[in-house]
Amino acid sequence: PVCPRGSVRCQVSLPDLFDRAVMLSHYIHSLSSDMFHEFNKQYALGRGFIPRAINSCHTSSISTPEDKEQAQQIHHGDLLNLVLTMLRSWNDPLDHLASEVHSLPKAPSALLTKATEVKEQNERLLEGIEKIVDQVHPGAKENKAYSVWSGLPSLQTADENTRLFAFYNLFRCLSRDSHKIDSYLKLLKCRIVYNNNC
Amino acid sequence: FLGHSPPGKPEILKCRSPEKETFTCWWKPGTDGGLPTNYTLTYHKEGETITYECPDYKTGGPNSCYFNKKHTSIWKIYNITINATNQMGSSSSDPHYVDVIYIVEPDPPVNLTLEVKQPEDRKPYLWIKWLPPTLVDINSGWLTLQYEIRLKPEKTAVWETHFAGRQTQFSVLSLYSGQKYLVQVRCKPDHGFWSKWSPESSIEIPSDFI
Repeated sequence: PVCPRGSVRCQVSLPDLFDRAVMLSHYIHSLSSDMFHEFNKQYALGRGFIPRAINSCHTSSISTPEDKEQAQQIHHGDLLNLVLTMLRSWNDPLDHLASEVHSLPKAPSALLTKATEVKEQNERLLEGIEKIVDQVHPGAKENKAYSVWSGLPSLQTADENTRLFAFYNLFRCLSRDSHKIDSYLKLLKCRIVYNNNC
Repeated sequence: FLGHSPPGKPEILKCRSPEKETFTCWWKPGTDGGLPTNYTLTYHKEGETITYECPDYKTGGPNSCYFNKKHTSIWKIYNITINATNQMGSSSSDPHYVDVIYIVEPDPPVNLTLEVKQPEDRKPYLWIKWLPPTLVDINSGWLTLQYEIRLKPEKTAVWETHFAGRQTQFSVLSLYSGQKYLVQVRCKPDHGFWSKWSPESSIEIPSDFI
């Protein structure tokens, strides 16, 4: 039986956990990609932000697979831990993003709504992956690693160009990292649940 | 060298990845200044300082560069420039920034097959099935595809479109009997662009198809 939300002594099956996680990761990336393109269109065109943004995500220090072969060669436990580390690394910036977006000139309401939604769904996805790790690796040492974000001062600075670049880079990195997480989870689901025969 | 001049500025037209594992870029040459002009594509990868040159100018056809799996990194920005050179001088395109995750556009689905089914106990229907494009790796989950089909009687202009989700077959019940129908299918990755429509397949709907 499917576990109703909030039920206590009832364990969701691994396939169901993965289905929910992949639906969430797909949704989070779609929202993040929308936000990035909306912000880019309204605030960043012509400002030459791309060259400045290269290699400047707060998660760049996390070593992650850069193509399919690398992702397939990693043990699934390590790939799950990588996903956990990336999700945790976004808790703090998403908290601030949801509150700071208000400060943008003529902040579109769609951007405000999506920033809040991504923050909430990111937390739910983190919970879901922790449950998956519990089932895939019962008793494994808990991984609390994450990459620190120190971009709040830039989001709040009075200098408009610096501030807009900080937002631009955050939206860009969120779009990229959420795509990574979505790709890795879809690979893991096919590998663990469907034995690579999705 | 009367009447000759340095080459005009080339322009990068498009970059596309059919399966999130390789990608190709195409460019449009500028004016050649009346002299034989040579084109090179150079690029930097995010996080590296090395300047690379295009690994394969042939596979993608004229004025193109193909990056095979070995030369393709996902989630990395490629800063790409086209350089044109002739005896009078040279010129370069504006830089073009590419992250493979934003240029995924698969090939159309293949093996589109049509069959009229007339079961005894149920209404007749048109059964449509197809296969994913050959290059795409669905089994490992690296790419997930969704499909859309469209059909119309041969002589009409308006297509009837149906979203098929991730399945690779579809049944259509309401059809005009006695007409020849054209059918096409296309696909879209979980994050990316719709493919082109597949070539048309056609089928005659029998007059007793009620």
